[in-house]
Amino acid sequence: MPDAVAAKLKAAIGSSDESVLMHVATDLEEDRTFGERWVVVTDRRLIVIPANGLNGTQEVPIDSMEKVHQDDLVGFGKLRVERKGESPFTITYSRSRIPRFAEVAEGLREMSKGEDPAFPEEVERTRCASCGRVLPEVNGICPACVKKLKTLGRVARYLLPYKPQVAMLMISALVTSAIQLLPPLITRTIIDDVLTPRANLTLLFWMVGVLFAVRSLTLGIEVGFRYLRTWVGSNAIADIRSDLYRHLQYLPIRFYDRRKLGSLISRMSNDSDRLDGFLIYGLPFFVNYGLMLFGILGLLLYMNWRLTLLILLPIPPIVIGGYFMWERMRRFWGRWSSRWGRLSSHLNESITGIRVVKAFAQEDRERDRFNERNDDLRDATVIAERNWLTYSIATGFLMSFGAFFVWYYGGLQILRGDMTLGGLMAFISYLWMLYGPLRGLFEMNNWMTRALAGAERIFEILDAQAEPADDPDAIPMEKVVGHVNVRNVSFGYDRAKPVLKGIDLEVKAGEMIGLIGKSGVGKSTLISMLCRFYDADRGSIEIDGVDIRKVKVKDLRRQIGMVQQDPFLFDGSILENITYARPEASFDEVILAAQAAEAHEFIVKKPDGYDMRIGEKGNKLSGGERQRLSIARAILHNPPILILDEATSSLDSATEKKIQTALARLVQGRTTFAIAHRLSTLRSADRLVVLDRGKIAEVGSHAQLMEREGFFYRLVKTQQETTAVMAVGGGKGETSGDD
Amino acid sequence: MTTELTEESVDASPEEGEEEKAEWSPTPIEITHPEHVEAADIHLFYEPAWKLRMTLRDDRSYLAVKVVRAAPLSSPNGYICFLDSRDEAICMVRDPNDLPDDQQKVVLEELERRYLTAIVHQVLSLRSEFGASYWEVATDRGDREFVVKDVSENAHWLSEDRVMLLDVDANRFEILSLRGLDRKSRGLIDLVL
Repeated sequence: MPDAVAAKLKAAIGSSDESVLMHVATDLEEDRTFGERWVVVTDRRLIVIPANGLNGTQEVPIDSMEKVHQDDLVGFGKLRVERKGESPFTITYSRSRIPRFAEVAEGLREMSKGEDPAFPEEVERTRCASCGRVLPEVNGICPACVKKLKTLGRVARYLLPYKPQVAMLMISALVTSAIQLLPPLITRTIIDDVLTPRANLTLLFWMVGVLFAVRSLTLGIEVGFRYLRTWVGSNAIADIRSDLYRHLQYLPIRFYDRRKLGSLISRMSNDSDRLDGFLIYGLPFFVNYGLMLFGILGLLLYMNWRLTLLILLPIPPIVIGGYFMWERMRRFWGRWSSRWGRLSSHLNESITGIRVVKAFAQEDRERDRFNERNDDLRDATVIAERNWLTYSIATGFLMSFGAFFVWYYGGLQILRGDMTLGGLMAFISYLWMLYGPLRGLFEMNNWMTRALAGAERIFEILDAQAEPADDPDAIPMEKVVGHVNVRNVSFGYDRAKPVLKGIDLEVKAGEMIGLIGKSGVGKSTLISMLCRFYDADRGSIEIDGVDIRKVKVKDLRRQIGMVQQDPFLFDGSILENITYARPEASFDEVILAAQAAEAHEFIVKKPDGYDMRIGEKGNKLSGGERQRLSIARAILHNPPILILDEATSSLDSATEKKIQTALARLVQGRTTFAIAHRLSTLRSADRLVVLDRGKIAEVGSHAQLMEREGFFYRLVKTQQETTAVMAVGGGKGETSGDD
Repeated sequence: MTTELTEESVDASPEEGEEEKAEWSPTPIEITHPEHVEAADIHLFYEPAWKLRMTLRDDRSYLAVKVVRAAPLSSPNGYICFLDSRDEAICMVRDPNDLPDDQQKVVLEELERRYLTAIVHQVLSLRSEFGASYWEVATDRGDREFVVKDVSENAHWLSEDRVMLLDVDANRFEILSLRGLDRKSRGLIDLVL
């Protein structure tokens, strides 16, 4: 808090024993322009102080507060305090401050009810402590402060498991570089000691022999060098891909909620491909060129330091230009990369949804959208390549200046007798050899920029916080009885919009709970929280008296089985899909599970029976067949806690009956949470929990709730009326059996 | 069997070389909710002074009403919807100009209270690093710094020239016309978008 604001606060509080519980800055003024104000909560009041300690401090006593709301408006948030007999007091802030103000609102709500508030003590970091940049995520890492060399270092770390091979690669690079320096020296000897005096035939013979040996040796080492670099590079990139895939598996569901599939796949394929190219070709060339450069420079300086300095004149402008070009090219390639991601996303979406595209005859529109993105990518590629080409041509031209100097000054020195013809020829050979690695190193700049941009995108995923499975304090969870206790759980995907508000529910082991409510009231959210796809913002969920946040996630999920409305099956055989959760199950167990799931009958009718390949997402099976396979999978998994998420919707009545029979067997002896829109399917539930607006509206058995004529009763009546209307209007006749 | 062409049938057939265009119209659907209400029957007023109330003439009154845009990006000036305290749609006005002046004023004020999008006038600096872009802009609400992650996903093109950016916290920044920006701003944006 700035000093001027702190002084205002001190003046407002005076010498009383009033204590400050929390302070937070808004980033919007009253007129909603950008600007800072400070909001302070004390044990007696809410105080708002303008930035820089200006006049205009406002305050609201806690005991005058009737209700506290956080309104989630479009593009900003508003804290609204309703007061007795007065207009509401409001504070606006950008969306960036919503999580913090959600805490303020909750705290004020508790205080207005006379309870002790629980303000978090943690101060959120929105800016980098070292460079002051806005952080991409609150409390996140500042990517700008992650050094390029550090990224390169991280990539290089993947080479560590292959130390002997990398060492051999380095040695062969060193030997190749040294050998490549020999031919100009041999040429000098031939010119100066054989051709100029027109004598020494034996020396000529030996020198040609040495030249031949050098070329042969270079070839041999080159073959080994190329093989080694491919082997090391491929292994390292396979390790990176494996790490990336493993990490993707352990990232929380929340991570996937915010990202497009195509963009993630592009990182796996495109970015890792670029890194692959860099590791296989770029890095070894980098070493080779680096060594060559130092070797040649050393030799040139040794042979004629004055002439060497002259030919190095064009180097500084090239290096300075290269530095600026680095930044520019990184942006160009960054844009290229993001356009690739966009194209890839579109491709993924349109191919996955090809049935919908065709059903609505939108092929032309999708083609146009693809072409638009394709053109964008083409333009980005052309611009990047054009810039690079211009730079390389300019660099090449500057470099050729060196050759003019050598011919002129070298020629003069020969005429003066300070230099031999062989010396000049060797010098010129080295000069061209010097430009090769020099140009190569600048190409490397481009190569490395692309590869590092890809590496950064890969590391961005690898650095994303994985699920809390890795918590070192997490305890193992043995097979549970299935006593579930939901204690005052509140949660929102966006903290400004809580989906669940203070849910309390105790479920006995083996009890079947039917979760009922309109779409979006939080039924599936509650289930997701039980599986720890999301953690509660407030409150806790306990299984057999243990907070699920304190146990190993894998152990927790082993206790829970799930049958979904549209079960996800993998491309593989029926057998592989049923045994997905328990690959070690015997075939007899599989058959028993399939029989219990009423699936055995249809499976054996298939030409390949249990070995039938069911296609991507099980598309060779009907909806009912997929459903029964997923039930068989859950039965084989044998979890103490079971979740049925709309398991019998969208099926014809004959299939539904079979599935109901299968489910009845499945739920026996398990704690079951069943979500169904068709209320009739929940008749067998021990208790029904009706959710409304994120809270529990009613709890009781089917009969009790009907008798009470409350929320559930009204839902049933509405559904009956809807069914009647559908039957009259030609709707699905089979649903008329509903309650 | 031969068919005699009447003048009517000749007229109805398409001209040679002209593509036949089948007349298509949607099957009429009766809409019962939200019901159709004439703009003239809507009366908006504050009661108490901080709560918007709406009365439909000769019908009923809603104690707390929200005014929202049906399509805030594509039709910001039309299709105004009124929601009750449970966020259920009450009715819609296609053109707010159909409302009396004083009612229009209320609607515009309420919309102003509900939406916040900063209009970017100038890009002061822009860096793109690590899949995120760091913007420093001058807007109609003052200068502001923000970060956009994965620009391809968070830049919503509203037309070829108009784009809305969502930063990492879903704050909104709109560029009404890219061509209308100064040369430096355009150059910076061109490297990112």
